[in-house]
This record gives sequence, structure tokens and C-alpha cells, in this order.
Amino acid sequence: METTLSPDFSSPRRQSRVAIGIILIKFIRMTIRAFWPILISFFIGGRNNSSFEEWLGYIAIGFAAFNLLGSVLTYFRFYFHIENDAIVIDKGLLKRTHTNIPFERIQTINFKQNILHQIFNVVSVEIDTAGAKKSEISIDALGKEEAEAFRDFVLAEKDQIIAESMPETQEAQEAEPEKSERILHLTPKDLLKVGVSQNHLRSMGIIFAFVFTTLQQFTDDVTDTVTDQVNQYDNLLPDSNLVIFIITALVVLIISFLFSLINTVLKYYDLSLSINKSGLKIVRGLFNREEISINKSKVQIISWSENPIRRIFRLYTLQIEQASSAEASQLKSKIRVPGSYMEQVTRVVGTVFPKEYFRDETKFGVSKHLKHRLFIFLGILPTLALGVSLYFTQGWEALYALLLLPLVWYMTTLYHRKRSFELNEELLRNNSGIFGNAHDLMQIHKVQAVRIKQSWYQRRKSLATVQLFTAAGHLTIPFITLDLALELENYLLYRAESDSREWM
Amino acid sequence: MTTIFENLPVDADSLPKVEDIDFKSIEKKYLRVTLIASAIFWFVLILGWLAIAHFSEMEKTLLSYLAGSGGIFILGTLNFIVTILGFKKKKYALRQRDILYTKGLLWHVRTSIPFNRIQHAELKQGPLERMYGLHSLKVYTAGGQTSDLVIPGLKEEPALAIKDFILGKTAADGDDTEP
Repeated sequence: METTLSPDFSSPRRQSRVAIGIILIKFIRMTIRAFWPILISFFIGGRNNSSFEEWLGYIAIGFAAFNLLGSVLTYFRFYFHIENDAIVIDKGLLKRTHTNIPFERIQTINFKQNILHQIFNVVSVEIDTAGAKKSEISIDALGKEEAEAFRDFVLAEKDQIIAESMPETQEAQEAEPEKSERILHLTPKDLLKVGVSQNHLRSMGIIFAFVFTTLQQFTDDVTDTVTDQVNQYDNLLPDSNLVIFIITALVVLIISFLFSLINTVLKYYDLSLSINKSGLKIVRGLFNREEISINKSKVQIISWSENPIRRIFRLYTLQIEQASSAEASQLKSKIRVPGSYMEQVTRVVGTVFPKEYFRDETKFGVSKHLKHRLFIFLGILPTLALGVSLYFTQGWEALYALLLLPLVWYMTTLYHRKRSFELNEELLRNNSGIFGNAHDLMQIHKVQAVRIKQSWYQRRKSLATVQLFTAAGHLTIPFITLDLALELENYLLYRAESDSREWM
Repeated sequence: MTTIFENLPVDADSLPKVEDIDFKSIEKKYLRVTLIASAIFWFVLILGWLAIAHFSEMEKTLLSYLAGSGGIFILGTLNFIVTILGFKKKKYALRQRDILYTKGLLWHVRTSIPFNRIQHAELKQGPLERMYGLHSLKVYTAGGQTSDLVIPGLKEEPALAIKDFILGKTAADGDDTEP
């Protein structure tokens, strides 16, 4: 090992030189975000003015100087080092701050790279800590080798401190030597498969939401313009609503498809998942490369799901939910790995949870009353609403709305058939899905709250819904008999209360 | 009894049962606190409507004043009825290893949190609660607020006792030797 090369972190040191550039870009983005209304108003208001170009020059120069000065100063005022088992960061231009992060409070250290980082082979280091609300401290740019040495050093020290404070835990000693095994690597072919099999309806929704909110904010005239445009074509192609409809639908479809494909490539390019002693490590992304470490004991729920297209490729989307301290990073606590084969899902589950308990158990289904309720609320009521409103515009053609009923009935039947849970002494597994299949797996001693809910209807049928909360997300088991729900509640509470293992 | 435990190494009947616990009601005075708070809320809403009706272009007939405020009044009354009827569903219980709270008139909800999964507990008191000498106990769990628990309407003495009990249990979790 080349650990002899590892730099000495005990004296205050600066970031990599490249950091100046990276901070500069961060700065420019920040100032633009803060001042863009002023900048735009200058553009619009000053265009008629003769001295406008002169002014624009001054503003641009001032703007650039401000940013350059700011980022250079920020760089030279930023120091970090390790002292007394803590990371110490000194920074700040006008207001100096001195941050001290004890090793034992550090949850994970993650790396991020945007395109600049990648060009200069540096990483931005994010230190995730427990407790405080604003729990993320980051170092903007550090040479990759240096950052890795830094992380390994800190995490090793941290493990040692924890091992010392709990002498009875022998696990740390018997752990296998530090090695990491890559179990998944998304090849371009797999990436393409993942992109093709994305949920394109969701992309469509995102695009519509973007178009309607963002564009409308910019100018209210957009809708008018669009209507004008459409009217123009109306004159050209009289009585061809159907043609326009089909063309629009095709265009929307293609755009959505491309959108999700590009999104997938940007986010999951060259994704790799590896297993090491403490847990899992994920590296992914094209322009923004992220490296995320997942600690075994922090994982609360593992889910895997597929849809009909993915089933052809035998691909699953794996999702790992880990306990995270920051409320802001709730999104970050869910890590998705699309394009996993069953073999890899099994591997990950076996690494994070005790392998011997990962097996099929008796399936407990949910009551058929759930199906009936769903059919009433998602089938009959919408059909009535649609039918009545169509009747006033289209007359008896409104009867077509009845076609919705068999479709909803079919879907609720599928849903009810797939909805079930399985339990053994270590794991609880939730199964669901309509056209696809989804499974959530949870280690039951990690439950931190059990909630039993009964609506007025459920009380009459003596049914209940059980919700199990963990430090990251919750599972719901709907419409099971009250007796079963109570038994489940008693057992899960007993397991959570009598288990002294680490749970987050 | 159902057969969920057939393959588990535990006898279902030997487990402590949530169904058998005696739940304690919260202080009656807390009903008054909630009623006063919602009375103020609905009153302000009615005032707001009257102001809108008065200052807008609308025709100022008696009807325009009455229609809106009447609607708000009916909603407020419904809210009062649900609050009063639902109040006796608000109950809590402490067991050796967990805390439970039930509520809900139309939708019964019971939340149970084991002490060894509690991050933090604190007492809170709003201005109205202070007038009646009541406290709310707030129990925090890890990761977001979805499973946090608030038990309102506790007198100072039991509230403090429960909080200290919970915090003591949470702290003792590390050296949990005897069952």
C-alpha cells in the first residue's frame, strides 16, 4: 500500500489551487442568482439609452472584479486540518468561522465532482454529520488522492475511537481486511436499457409542469402566443383536429422519451456499486459525478422494483434508504441504483441485512375490502364525474366513460393480488405493484414507531392499517384484519425493544 | 387467533399486549384550551369575511354579510362538535419500554414508540396552555417528523415526570442489562 505517501493533515492547509476557479464559478452563480432581476432590468431599461453600452461595460467589469476578488479571498482564507480527533475548518471573509467536527459525529464523507472537478481531477468533499440542522460541511476542491487519503484517515480514526469506547464489540477486530469488491457496473448497453425503460409518463409530467410554471412566470403572453400559433394552423388545416392531436401526441411522446433518456445518462453514467467492509459505495454521473458511501447499519429499507419493460430486460431498480440526520437531505437519504439484476439485488440485501433470513415466507394478503374501496374511489366516482361532465358537452357519447370501469377493475384486481407482506424473525417484506412489481425489505428491530389506523369503514369490517416508521421512510400494510394488526404491533414492539443491536 | 407466529420463535400469547393496557385520558381542561383557540380562529375568519364584504365592490346588502359568515359559522360549529366528541379519544399510556398515544374520532390512530428509539423529549407550552397550567409533551424520533409524537394536555407534575422517565429510559438504553 502507498500509505506512506499520505500527506500530513495535522497542520492547517489550503485546498487545491484549482479551488480558486471552482469557487469563482460558484460565486458567479450565486451573484447571478441573487441579482438577476437587477441585471435584466438594466438590459431592458437601458437599451434605448445612448450611454448604455458604456454602463454595461462598467457593470461587467465591476461584477467580474467583485467575483474574482471574492473567490480569491475565500480561497486564501480557507484552512482545514485535523486536531485532537476532530476536523477543524477555518474560513470566512468578513465573519470568520471556526468549525470543529469531532470524528465520532461524522456519519459519512462523500465526494462530488462537476465537470470542472473532473477536468482537474479534484473532488468536492462533503462531510455529513449527525445532530445539527445544517449538518453538511464541504471542502470545495481537493486533489483526488489527497481527498481519498483524508477520508480513509478520518474514517479509520473514527472506527478506532468507537471501538475503544465499546470494548465488548468484537466485530471490528474480526472484520475482513480492507477490500472493496465491485458488484455492479452499468455498461453503456445497460444504461441504454435503463433509459429506454424509464417511466416516460413521469418525464411527461415533469416537462408539462416545467412548461406551465416556468414559462408562465417569465411572460403571461405565452399562452396567447401558443393559441395564436395553433389558430394559424387551424386555418391551414380545417377539420383536422385528429391530425393535430396525433402529431402533438407524437411530439410530446418523443420529447418525453428523449428527456428521460438524457436524464438517465446524465445521472447514472458509468455507475458502479461496490461492497466493502463498512457497507456500500456508489459512484455515478456524467457531468456531476457523485461518490456516496452507505454505512451498513444505517440502512433502514431496501426496495427493488420492476415494470413491464424492465421485466423483458430482467432489470430491477434498487433503492436503498439510509438514516440521515439532516432534514434538508431527505432526498439524499434515498439512493437509487437502476439497472440491477436479481443477482446484485440479492448480493446487496445479503451484505446489508443478515443473509440467512432473506428467504420467501408465507404471504399474508390484504382484505378484499381494500379492492372494493379502491374501485369505488378510483373507478366509480371518477367515472360518474367524467360521465356527467361529458354528458353536458357531448350528449350520449358520454357513455364511453363507462369504459374506464373495466380498466380500473382490472388494475385494482392486480393491485390486490400483489399486495401482501411476509415476516420472519428478522425481516419484514412488503410486496406491491399493479403492472410491475415492487418489494420493500426492512429489518424489524429498526422500527422506531408503530402506528395503527382505523377508519370508520375499517372499524365496521374489523380491519386496520399498520404503518411502520424507521429512521428513513416508512412502510404501510393496509387493510389487514384487526387481530393480525394487533399481533404484528405487539411483536414488532417487542422486537424493537428487546434488540440492543445498532439500528442507525 | 391468527397464525402469524407459527414459524416465529416466540409465543404470541406471551408477548405484552397493547390491547390490554389502561389508557389514561388527558386533562379535561385541555378541551377548553382547544375550544378557545379554535373559537379565536373562526372569529378572526368571520371578521375577515366581514371586512372583505365591507370594503369590496360587492353590493352591501345584509345577505352578502350573512351568507359568508354563516357558512364559516357552520364550519366552525362542525369543528367544535368533532373536537368535543373526539376529545375523549385522546389517551396515552406508558409501559415499561414504550409510550403510546391514541386519538381520532372518525379515524382512530394509535402510535407506539419504544423508548430506545426516542432521540429527544421536551415540554412545550403555548400562551393559552400556560393560563391553564398545561403542557404538551413532544417526543422526537430520528429522520424527519413523520413519526414524532405530541401528547397535549398534561399537568406540570406528570408531564415532567413522564419526560424525565422517558429521557432516563432513553439514556439507560446503552447499558441495558436486565430485562
